Amino acid sequence: MSAGLSSSQPTAPHVQEAEAQRTGASHAGAQHTQSAEPSRTPGGRPSLRGTAPLGRIRPGLILAAVLLALVTAWALAPDLFTDRDPLSGDPLQRLQAPGTGALLGTDQLGRDVLSRIIHGAGSSLGTTAIAVLIAFGAGTAIGVVAGFLGCGVDAVLMRVIDVLQSIPGLLLSMSVVVALGFGAVNIALAVALASIPAFARVARGEVLRWRSTLFVEAARLNGIRTPEIVVRHVLPHAVGPVFALAALEFGSAILAVSALSFLGYGAPPPQPEWGLLVSEGRDFIASAWWLTTMPGLLIAAVVLSVNRIALALGSGRSRS
Amino acid sequence: MRLTPTAALVLRRLGHGAVVLWAAFTLAFLVLYVLPGDPVAILLGGDQSTAAPEEIAAVRAEYNLDRPLLVQYLLALTAALRFDLGSSFATGQPVVEAIGAALPSTVALAVAALVPAVVGGTALAVLAVNARRPALRALLSGLPGLGVALPTFWVGLMLLQVFSFRLGWVPALGAEGLLGLVLPAATLALPLGAMVAQVLLRALDRAWREQYVTTFRAAGMGRPRLLLSHALRVASLSLLSVAGVITGNLLGGTVIVETVFTRSGLGRLAESAVSSQDIPLVLGIVVFSAVVFVLVNLATDLLYPLADPRTRPAVRAAVRRAAEASAEALPAAGAEANQTHSPTPTRPTEEVRA
Amino acid sequence: MHTRSALSLTAAALSAVLLLSACGSQPDPTAAAGEPVSGGTLRIAYDTDPQCVDGQQVGQNTALNVTRQVTDSLTDQDPETGEIVPWLAESWEVSEDSREFTFHLREGVTFQDGTPFTSASVAENFAAIQDLGARATQGSSYLAGLRSVETPDEHTAVVAFEEPNAQFLQATSTMILGFYSSQTLEKTPEERCGGEIVGTGPFTLESFTPAESASLVRYDDYAWPSSLARHEGPAHLDGIEITVVPEATVRNGSLSSGQIDVDTAVLPQDEETLEASGFPVLSRPNPGMTYNLLPKESKPIAEEPEVRRAISKAINREELAAVISSHQSPATSVLSQSTPQYTDLSAHLAFDPEGAAALLDEAGWELNAETGIRERDGEPLSIELSYWQTVPFLELVQQQLRAAGIDLQLDRATLAEHTAAQESGDLTFDFYNLTRSDADIIRTVFDARARNVNEREPSEIEDILTETTVTTDPAARTALFEQAAVKLIEEGHAIPLVELSGVWATSPEVQGLHFEASSRVQLYDTWLAGER
Repeated sequence: MSAGLSSSQPTAPHVQEAEAQRTGASHAGAQHTQSAEPSRTPGGRPSLRGTAPLGRIRPGLILAAVLLALVTAWALAPDLFTDRDPLSGDPLQRLQAPGTGALLGTDQLGRDVLSRIIHGAGSSLGTTAIAVLIAFGAGTAIGVVAGFLGCGVDAVLMRVIDVLQSIPGLLLSMSVVVALGFGAVNIALAVALASIPAFARVARGEVLRWRSTLFVEAARLNGIRTPEIVVRHVLPHAVGPVFALAALEFGSAILAVSALSFLGYGAPPPQPEWGLLVSEGRDFIASAWWLTTMPGLLIAAVVLSVNRIALALGSGRSRS
Repeated sequence: MRLTPTAALVLRRLGHGAVVLWAAFTLAFLVLYVLPGDPVAILLGGDQSTAAPEEIAAVRAEYNLDRPLLVQYLLALTAALRFDLGSSFATGQPVVEAIGAALPSTVALAVAALVPAVVGGTALAVLAVNARRPALRALLSGLPGLGVALPTFWVGLMLLQVFSFRLGWVPALGAEGLLGLVLPAATLALPLGAMVAQVLLRALDRAWREQYVTTFRAAGMGRPRLLLSHALRVASLSLLSVAGVITGNLLGGTVIVETVFTRSGLGRLAESAVSSQDIPLVLGIVVFSAVVFVLVNLATDLLYPLADPRTRPAVRAAVRRAAEASAEALPAAGAEANQTHSPTPTRPTEEVRA
Repeated sequence: MHTRSALSLTAAALSAVLLLSACGSQPDPTAAAGEPVSGGTLRIAYDTDPQCVDGQQVGQNTALNVTRQVTDSLTDQDPETGEIVPWLAESWEVSEDSREFTFHLREGVTFQDGTPFTSASVAENFAAIQDLGARATQGSSYLAGLRSVETPDEHTAVVAFEEPNAQFLQATSTMILGFYSSQTLEKTPEERCGGEIVGTGPFTLESFTPAESASLVRYDDYAWPSSLARHEGPAHLDGIEITVVPEATVRNGSLSSGQIDVDTAVLPQDEETLEASGFPVLSRPNPGMTYNLLPKESKPIAEEPEVRRAISKAINREELAAVISSHQSPATSVLSQSTPQYTDLSAHLAFDPEGAAALLDEAGWELNAETGIRERDGEPLSIELSYWQTVPFLELVQQQLRAAGIDLQLDRATLAEHTAAQESGDLTFDFYNLTRSDADIIRTVFDARARNVNEREPSEIEDILTETTVTTDPAARTALFEQAAVKLIEEGHAIPLVELSGVWATSPEVQGLHFEASSRVQLYDTWLAGER
């Protein structure tokens, strides 16, 4: 229904995006003429204009990639980066400030903070990845089905999404954790549930956009069955924005897990999960600042890096 | 068709809203009643209780908890239709009353956070788009990313340490009056403002490249004037379409902010209700937030034509849903996804205009 | 009369000095000097929500600290000696068989609504507690077996029980058996939870908002303090403002920046800084049962006496002292030091890793060098422990047990979840403490015919516990409880870890704040030095 209307109303706001894309592609020449005036798109990424050098080295992006590579390596092989036990400490060496003894200090039980951060990468990134995967899978499926079948199915599925969205994410996650119990997978599920609507809406929007295009309509006229059209013609195009969203959701999922830990719905001890480290360390803000600051800075850096890469991913796709 | 398009739209949206409310109620009811905890055992003091089993059973019967699930559900639903959401297990206070008592403080906090978030976010976006030096522009447009990357509770605790405990400028407790509102509002406004800035940056950038803007510019219209008269107005549309998400984030954010700053309000009520499995109270808060969500979306529908004169009433719903499909999908942490489209050379509408 | 109050004043002052020095904190001598002044509002920050302020219903310490100010009790208990002393009852007699208690009530006592407190009030309050049933979480067990409350005249109440009930006299000193006016008793339990309570105490409850705050004001006609009180007449303070502040750093910062007067839950890491900057830190171990690991002996692993005993031997309780407050002690018995019937059993709780290893070897649990965890028939020696309290020392216990080859899985849950797990009967170990200023708490928890926390068959222990209910001689009763506690430890039914101590800090202006026998506070004698 919306798709039909949008075709007949070229000036409606949602067409802005189409216009933007066209400017980026068909009117590349016109864009060149404007490029005398510096105009970069927000987020620090180069604009869609043809003048942006494709292969220019962007230090921010490289830094982000290096950081993500590093934490991924921590997650996969923590023992390569530290030989200290993240779970056991010497209570006599508790609350040591960062220094030569322990690079990032020790915690209230005398455990090495750096070691806990490194060993925590696995569960933190793992939980987050599971959360994003679940939201990505479920959300995209709902969005694609709703967008393609339209009418009744669309209306029902979108109401389902409305319901999920009408309950504030944190409240929804808290209730789910209480219902399912603590633990990495349950926390992931709780966080995922709250971000399904985002994926569903983006996926549906993309499908609506593509299903009215000439080549999909041509395919339909040629008698190709619906599932095949979805899989072969619509999905490949629709999946890009959804991927970019996944990268962004990754950042917010890390923060959501940490917010849950803060409220007391985190991983069980002694697991060194990042969100838990920040929230446990908050009781030491006045006496041992490094306990919360170090993992807090790391979370901020990782979220920023993921956002940076998501942006690059998005703009890269637009340009190609 | 006697109804004007606007009235029809309102009616349809209200119908949708009713469905959403009912479904949210049912979903919450199911989740809460399969919870492993026994609210009565918690009510009676958990570990500290020395009560006999038959005494516990008597209390359970008092709350209808011994009836079949379906009966409990129907009882709760019919009561809810009469605006009776039951009474809190923990305190015995009627749920509607508890929410009503918590609401003013949360609304004050939300407004105090929303205004600077929108103003600040808009200012940042406009500055970033207009910045002439690339380094400055990169810095300004990177700020929102930082704003959404910091854990809210950490920001709140840090602000308290500095401004209340070290400098003594604002009280940490007894959050009566405007002074007590400053830090909580700032904490809540930070991620919100960052999100607003991200949405606007995207939308401004998009609007900047629109056909008519190019035309105006070719005709010699100045950049600031263009920005204010056209681009910003168009950009505000995308802000309008994320109003639902912003409201949700506000409500979710108050859970954390009210806990950190020891403020009374809906968020803290929700937190304590969930942790003590106070089912009627959680259910009430879920229904309440669903009502807010429905109303905000309705308001957005009606505001669309005001913000965008190009939109005729008849197509508001379609416009909203399409915009929703792209813009409302924005996640809490970043609002860029709707931007990343591939070119669509074959799109029929564009061929008409090209 | 005059000499008696002077004596009790001296005794109270002396006990306060003893108490404070025992806790290692040095009150500022200049600030402590001077006459108490009247006036000012004491601002207190709580860490948790009292939820319900009706002491007859709840067991939470934060709630009972509110109730204590609103209601008085028949008797009071000396925190130093454990002795039961007069309050609303001027004297009493206990029958030979501990079944009948006759209280002679003080005259001229009125509730805050103006109605008189008489023997009828005693009768109707005890009846109301019985009517509360399961809702009277502790009161119902204090009054278990109550046969009748007779009121021969306005100022005499005779309380009779079916069975001998030696613990009852101490129970009358608690706020759990405090008294409300007739009007309060007519309210629903929910209304009373929500703050509609009127007692005879030195403060009236003006308002209570769950999870947020409570506000109390002085009852100006008050003239019947406990015989332990240090002054007469109304309380010194104009009022008390209680705020619930869950964040520890916010409480700490608010105290040091003068925004509150009392922090009721100081974190170990902040104590030193506070004391160094002149903020007195007060503490008293909660009497009753210490934090214990409690095996469910109908379950695998927990049913093996060797494993239970090995766990106790593998725990280095002295090392636990490093991670708890300096005002808190590792457990030296099933009972905490401040329980009147406490005796030091630390000889039975020594750290003995070799002994633990020998016991486990004997039971066939062999060390798997790869995992560091002991195994038998391929099954690891793994124990799951669900708990809800904020007890970081459990992580150190986990670490110590791992060194002995025992895998302790900590499952931190919400109170709601933990209660559900308890109800389901799936736990292999439970973990909690219980506050009561009488060793009878052991009987409540461990007696195989009562709560039977161990899920075990009755044994010799039950015989000893039954004897405690008949014995009124304090020394004999203490000896019996020691016997029971030794058995509980040696047979591995109780694995004591750490004592619970409320650690409070106050601003230097706060004077005369002290803990009563159950380590809750009585603010009647508290006053604020300085201009206010």
